[in-house]
Amino acid sequence: MDTASPKHAKAAEAFLRDEENTDWHNETLWFVRSKRDRAAQSLPEWEQLREQASQIKAHTLSKLDDYLIQLEENARQNGIIVHWAANGDEHNQIVLDIMRKHKATKIVKSKSMLTEECHLNPFLIKEGIEVIDTDLGERIVQLRNEPPSHIVLPAIHLKKKHIGDLFHIHLGTEAGATDPQYLTEAARIHLRQKFLLADVAITGVNFAIAETGGFVVCTNEGNADLGAHLAKVHIACMGIEKVIPQAEHLGVFLRLLARSATGQAVTTYSSHFRKPAPGQEMHLVLVDNGRTRQLASPDFRNSLKCIRCGACMNTCPVYRRSGGHSYHTAVAGPIGSILAPNIDMKEYADLPFASTLCGSCTNVCPVKIDIHQQLYKWRQVLGEAGAVESTKKVGMTGMDVLFSHPWLYRFAGRAGRWFMQKFPSLANKPGLNPWAIHRDMPKPPEQSFRDWYAQQNQKTNG
Amino acid sequence: MANPTTRETILAAIGRGKPDLLPLPETIGFPPNISVDNLVDSFMKMVQTNGGQAIRVPSLVEASAFLAEEYDLTLPILSRVPGLDISNFTPQEDLRLLDDLHLIVLQGIVGVAENAAIWLDETAIGIRAMPFITLNLSIVLSEKNLVGNMHEAYRLIDTSTGFGTFIAGPSKTADIEQSLVIGAHGSKTLTVFLLP
Ligand code: SF4
Repeated sequence: MDTASPKHAKAAEAFLRDEENTDWHNETLWFVRSKRDRAAQSLPEWEQLREQASQIKAHTLSKLDDYLIQLEENARQNGIIVHWAANGDEHNQIVLDIMRKHKATKIVKSKSMLTEECHLNPFLIKEGIEVIDTDLGERIVQLRNEPPSHIVLPAIHLKKKHIGDLFHIHLGTEAGATDPQYLTEAARIHLRQKFLLADVAITGVNFAIAETGGFVVCTNEGNADLGAHLAKVHIACMGIEKVIPQAEHLGVFLRLLARSATGQAVTTYSSHFRKPAPGQEMHLVLVDNGRTRQLASPDFRNSLKCIRCGACMNTCPVYRRSGGHSYHTAVAGPIGSILAPNIDMKEYADLPFASTLCGSCTNVCPVKIDIHQQLYKWRQVLGEAGAVESTKKVGMTGMDVLFSHPWLYRFAGRAGRWFMQKFPSLANKPGLNPWAIHRDMPKPPEQSFRDWYAQQNQKTNG
Repeated sequence: MANPTTRETILAAIGRGKPDLLPLPETIGFPPNISVDNLVDSFMKMVQTNGGQAIRVPSLVEASAFLAEEYDLTLPILSRVPGLDISNFTPQEDLRLLDDLHLIVLQGIVGVAENAAIWLDETAIGIRAMPFITLNLSIVLSEKNLVGNMHEAYRLIDTSTGFGTFIAGPSKTADIEQSLVIGAHGSKTLTVFLLP
């Protein structure tokens, strides 16, 4: 296997060039994270709630085939047409076939990271179909020909000036206008027309319920509902891990989802679809695309518990300072860095390294995924598979040698301090020391901690 | 089109890869943190937090009067609440005509004090698109139908109807620089009347 190039680091470097924007990105996401903290603290049972959610998901994964069969049966009885897709291509073809059957040419989508993962938009557009993303943030990035940079806040990398300029060109808003209220109103008018004229609506699925054969879609804008209720055909696309056993379990997940995502007590609309409306057609597409492989791996299967709240991104110091696009995958941030290498190990070998392993992601995750531990495991798996880029490997092997030989560690520390004291400018040269990019190296201490400790010991023991 | 091979392949792969059976938690959910005496206060505060307004009224007469004051009743208005007869609009087959809807008044089924989500199902809503396409939404709810949290709500609601939704405020977005804007695609306002 070829070694992967450090795509994340390179892309992050480009993002970091606009320092003001990076700071803003960092602070804004931290603000969302703080809102999450306040929302979590408002519930005394928060930790037990996470535990319940995690257990429900663990149980579901241990009977995933049974629950999917139950979901399928009940959905069929409700009049929903159920499809199975092994991968993104099959998923896209299913959607296209439905469009063709209805001679449909216009589709409205509400945010679905799954369709993003399957690259549905470019596929349909090539087939001559008009595809409109209707979540405001998604529409913004779609007009910019970009993927979303965050699963909950797709346009979080942009400032209102960018959006004002964009809407001026595409929606004819006044030049230089940046008022969010005004810009949102313009998008509302523009998208209303699209909702009213669409033949088919696609939505994602937040939770599918085996017991009822229905599914739940959560939004704040109401775009999923407007699309699904106005179009003659509604196609809901879900990864197979989205199923839960019973409706009662929704109480647990709905209390966690919005609080973890944005700090709201609940999303504005939590819509339960169970049967098509009279005269309408409803489809449910169940997609694997690597999920069964993830399930079969004890180290990584926990990542399938993810409810896509985005909390791990908002809290991640690397995500906040490198931007979602630097992850070059549909789901960015800590959880995306676990999911992506499972789909393509070579392409995404750099992502498990885009983390400080500080564990903050694990602490906020509402379904208690051991995110940072899985990232650490991926590093080992990738290292063994030879998919790790050589500079990182030299560093890691070097550390291995260092840590397993205490005398060498002591010597290296002394040598390092000596070197940095004598030649500080060399240690600060980014070309020689990658750690010095965007930071000055600290002044080395006069004495090592080890020597200091030994001295203190001597003093107290006389 | 259903593809039996794909279905079988996926199910077989799950069968091979799934972990040993893990149990469901014995009890699901938690008792509410809000005492019965505080349900109304908490609910009303949360409606406001969510960007709507909540008004306590002794009867539908006052609700009706409030709406007459607040909205231009010559515009297309629809009430599905028996006893609150301000409708001047009959929904047509053609859903596109609903785009004109200025105000719709619906009967809420259950309200959750912890987050101000109100459950409405197909019987309460009628044509599914209506509470989303209308410019203004009003929901009438009896205080007797308030519960503390979502776990209690799921014990009461009927999830076997074709469609049902929890609505917790007017539509909103913060996609432009995280500035909260009320009125994205759905209704721009939500007025909740709490009746005894
Ligand atoms: S991994 Fe956890 S925190 Fe991250 S998006 Fe998924 S559920 Fe949320």
